[in-house]
Amino acid sequence: MPRLVKVRPTKIELIKLRRRLTLSKRIQKIVRDRLSILTMEFLRIAREIVEARQTLTDGMASAYGALSVAAGSHGYLALEKDLAGAGRDVGIATGLRNVAGVRMPSFELVDSGRTIQTLNLLETSSYLDQAAGEWEATLKAIVRLAELGRSLDVMGMEINRTKRIVNALEYMVIPELKATIKYLNMKFEERDREEKSRLKRVKVLLQQA
Amino acid sequence: MADLPDPNRPPEEYFAGELRVMNAHLPRGTKTLADLLAEPEPFVACRDDTPHLFRIDELKLLAGFLSEEERRTLNLPMLIEVGGGARGESMLRCRSPVEEKVAAKILGMPVACRQEAITLYRPQLARLRSVLVTTTQYVFVIRERAAGEEE
Repeated sequence: MPRLVKVRPTKIELIKLRRRLTLSKRIQKIVRDRLSILTMEFLRIAREIVEARQTLTDGMASAYGALSVAAGSHGYLALEKDLAGAGRDVGIATGLRNVAGVRMPSFELVDSGRTIQTLNLLETSSYLDQAAGEWEATLKAIVRLAELGRSLDVMGMEINRTKRIVNALEYMVIPELKATIKYLNMKFEERDREEKSRLKRVKVLLQQA
Repeated sequence: MADLPDPNRPPEEYFAGELRVMNAHLPRGTKTLADLLAEPEPFVACRDDTPHLFRIDELKLLAGFLSEEERRTLNLPMLIEVGGGARGESMLRCRSPVEEKVAAKILGMPVACRQEAITLYRPQLARLRSVLVTTTQYVFVIRERAAGEEE
């Protein structure tokens, strides 16, 4: 049984309550629409995460394979010596993307301009170039996965918040308003009936007098 | 100390603020695809003063199947109205025939633009959003009540 809203039993209050009910219903409709959109976006991100994880796993397997081949070709010591001078500055541009009112992070790998060609071309083989290329692709996959992971968290939190609003409207606010409107209507009808019977009684008394 | 909510204030008034928050992410203005492609970090400013970044891959994807003239006509982000249709379906706003071409290309089916809008059903919306994540934006609209509809 929903609780009643504390209001004075007057016609003005009834009109106000009706307006509040209309507003609540409209908010409920639009918040529900938003919830369904957020859920759709959540599922899209979840699907993308599965794909990104698969890409990352495949990329790492392939990159480690290529690195093993390069290490086999050069030897570990020579490989370490070659790679020591071939560092690369990696930058990540961060920003926000807004999806249905949810601010989601955006990470994009920024090309520093220093390419893998800083390796000594005379002393290294194409195996190392291939390994470097594959690790570069893997790095992109890691950044993409980080962006998607955080987006999923943010979206999940927003879905929870929106769900609470929908539930509050559906199970608390709207039933309370409806119950109060019904109570006020009954009270006014009762008042009318009392008024009618009082008038009848007065009429009878006047006729008797 | 944080301000505590007023216990005498009707709860639905708090939720009414949701309507304002919901569309706070709308762009202040739009930019053409050609302009965005020329920017190093393409973005548009939102109503809540946050920047909305576009993914460069997406812009390149759109540029791939549009002519030079169409790139100068297509305004981004494209707006998808949610809850504006007669049965609550979503609508892609078409300010030029280029949006129609983009939607048809992404969905892989012909689409009809009526009253400057393309009706998108849920699977179509999911398909469009999976490809155009940053170049489309949701707008939540309140539908006017039809005659005879229960208040």
